[in-house]
Amino acid sequence: MPPKGWRKAAHDPVATQTLVLDNGACTLKAGFASAAAAPSYDDCRIIPNCIAKGRDKRVYIASDLEKCTNFGEMAFRRPVERGFIVNWEAEKAIWEHEFLEGKGGLGCDPKETNLVLAEAPNCPVQLQKNCDEMVFEEFEFATYYRSIGPALNAYNDLPFSASDSPETSLLPPECLLLIDTSYSHTTITPLYNGRPIHSAIRRMSVGGKLLTNYLKELSSTRHINMLDETYLLNEIKEAVSFVSPSFKTDLERTWKGGLSDRREVDPSIVLDYVLPNYEHSAHGFARPHDPIKARRKLLQPLDGPREDILPVGNERFAVPELLFTPTDIGLQEAGLPEAIMQSLSVLPAALQAGMLANMVVVGGNSLIKGFMERLETDLRQLTPSNIPLRIARAPDPIKHTWLGGARLAHDRDILRSVVVTRAQYQERGSTWLGKWFAGGDAK
Amino acid sequence: MPHIEVLPNTGAAPAPGWAYVPDTGYDPSKVAFNPKDRKRQATRQGAVPTGVELSARQLTAVQRRIAELERDNDARSGIEIPNKKTTFKTSATKKILMSAKEIRHWLDDEDALLTNKAQAPGAGARAPAGRVIKPVIGARGRRGTLTATTVPSTPVQPSTPATNTPRALTPSVPAFPSSVAGSQDKTLEIRTAVPAPLDMEKLEALLAAPPLPYAAARVGPPAAGGPPQRLFCDTCGYWGRVKCLKCGARVCGLECKGKHDQSMCTRF
Repeated sequence: MPPKGWRKAAHDPVATQTLVLDNGACTLKAGFASAAAAPSYDDCRIIPNCIAKGRDKRVYIASDLEKCTNFGEMAFRRPVERGFIVNWEAEKAIWEHEFLEGKGGLGCDPKETNLVLAEAPNCPVQLQKNCDEMVFEEFEFATYYRSIGPALNAYNDLPFSASDSPETSLLPPECLLLIDTSYSHTTITPLYNGRPIHSAIRRMSVGGKLLTNYLKELSSTRHINMLDETYLLNEIKEAVSFVSPSFKTDLERTWKGGLSDRREVDPSIVLDYVLPNYEHSAHGFARPHDPIKARRKLLQPLDGPREDILPVGNERFAVPELLFTPTDIGLQEAGLPEAIMQSLSVLPAALQAGMLANMVVVGGNSLIKGFMERLETDLRQLTPSNIPLRIARAPDPIKHTWLGGARLAHDRDILRSVVVTRAQYQERGSTWLGKWFAGGDAK
Repeated sequence: MPHIEVLPNTGAAPAPGWAYVPDTGYDPSKVAFNPKDRKRQATRQGAVPTGVELSARQLTAVQRRIAELERDNDARSGIEIPNKKTTFKTSATKKILMSAKEIRHWLDDEDALLTNKAQAPGAGARAPAGRVIKPVIGARGRRGTLTATTVPSTPVQPSTPATNTPRALTPSVPAFPSSVAGSQDKTLEIRTAVPAPLDMEKLEALLAAPPLPYAAARVGPPAAGGPPQRLFCDTCGYWGRVKCLKCGARVCGLECKGKHDQSMCTRF
């Protein structure tokens, strides 16, 4: 007698629809990919990966935050810590709110959907196991593939100028050095033919989160106490910060001078950020520094339009400078250009040149003004002059990892070769699954 | 120091969830969470080479500050999930969903598991992840030696990197004019400029290597010969040229020193 449910097993276990999910600590990037249409950035939605609670005690889950207009003293609960999904209670609430339930979300039925999930490199094995168990036992996805985010980027076209790589193909490039500078940390991953070289993956502790917290700390000790205003400070960071091409000169230009030597600060760098009051405005804006207005702050009328100003001077470039010199806050880590060299030093010499000629930067921090130029200049100084350097930022650095995953899911043959079905999981268990995704075991 | 170890009296593996961890001396990353013998540590010189003279007290303050900057979730805010469901599909997911562990607990667990594996008898043959850490620790600060171990020191024949791959995007290293090759000048020697050809066996081993544990993948400290650590004014962010005699904080000049003494000096 055939076993129960044998008729079911006869049909294709790989579903037609695939949910591609880049589960970042700050935002999750989600969207469907199918074999029918080639995926593009527009298919991807960026959803805040947090549960937030405002001053009025109202709780916002993930995309509900778009409706919020008062971000004052907003507290965040983030299920992802250091890039790994730690608190599944909160993550489940967010996933259910965003993809699984019909109202407002993507409305997907996990039993009829494949899941391609990007995770951060060097995840503790126990957390990976938790993730696998949740996907198959709680959400019950049809099939599932978990991969480190940087490896998914290999399926994208290289973002170098079109004359260099004219063909659009799914074959991963031979050498690719992926620099992912995101919210939790900055990772450097060398990929050979699309396969990550695990022993050369390096991670810097500096990420967008640390930069925001640092700006928060600086503003609070120097001007106004803003320790509860994470959202606002993140907005200020994104609006005004830049990477300085020459740190020393810029620092001189923003100095107010000693007691006997009053000099003018450079108004092109020092800005006044007008803070939102959340009654008339939900977002602030920056304008050039006006010393007279700043001094007259106390003379503003009590009733009537008042404005609060946060002056931002050397914070504008001292904060992103941490990506290049983490020792400025006493963090004993090499800066990004040196970290890249540390990662390459593990590779054979022949590969190093190939990696240096194919560097792609993804992640939100790369959008900071001047980041790419500074990285290239600093790297040039560290590498021998006869080795060509080629470095580029992805067209949309935030969604790029998602797009790589979507292109993988678009090609059914590749997808079929990597996913694990729910039946296989039920037969062999989560320990086997962990080994399979780590590439150690045969299917 | 008393020598403590677990004597293998039974064949049973040590219970999961705890482990004897070797005492490796002063570890600033742990002190931030769990300071011990405060009086003695405050006077001891910091163990980390920073280029800047820091007492252990200052070092702990720096570590605590970094831990604060790296924190993901605010410890104070307990945000409850609205309309929480209390039904679970399986016992495994119930355990996961009810868990209140934070990332540092998971990372500590991973550390303990690795030391356990490295210490367990007979584990050496399987080359546990603890083995993999070693070159990484060695790599910190002296990258040159590590490169020397992975690459044969004398190249067999100069050639460009492998080109028999699907999308050979690796640009070849520009060839030197042949007249230079015979010159006596060592820096112009062509053999030192062109990397050794790719050893496919070694590359395959490199690709098959398992992922490093979380702690081992961290970037090493900056190279020893690099520029010294920059110091900034605590008050305004300009160069910290003056040190406060009472608390050791840096300020840029008299004006900032005045502000510092008024409100920011931590010792009286």
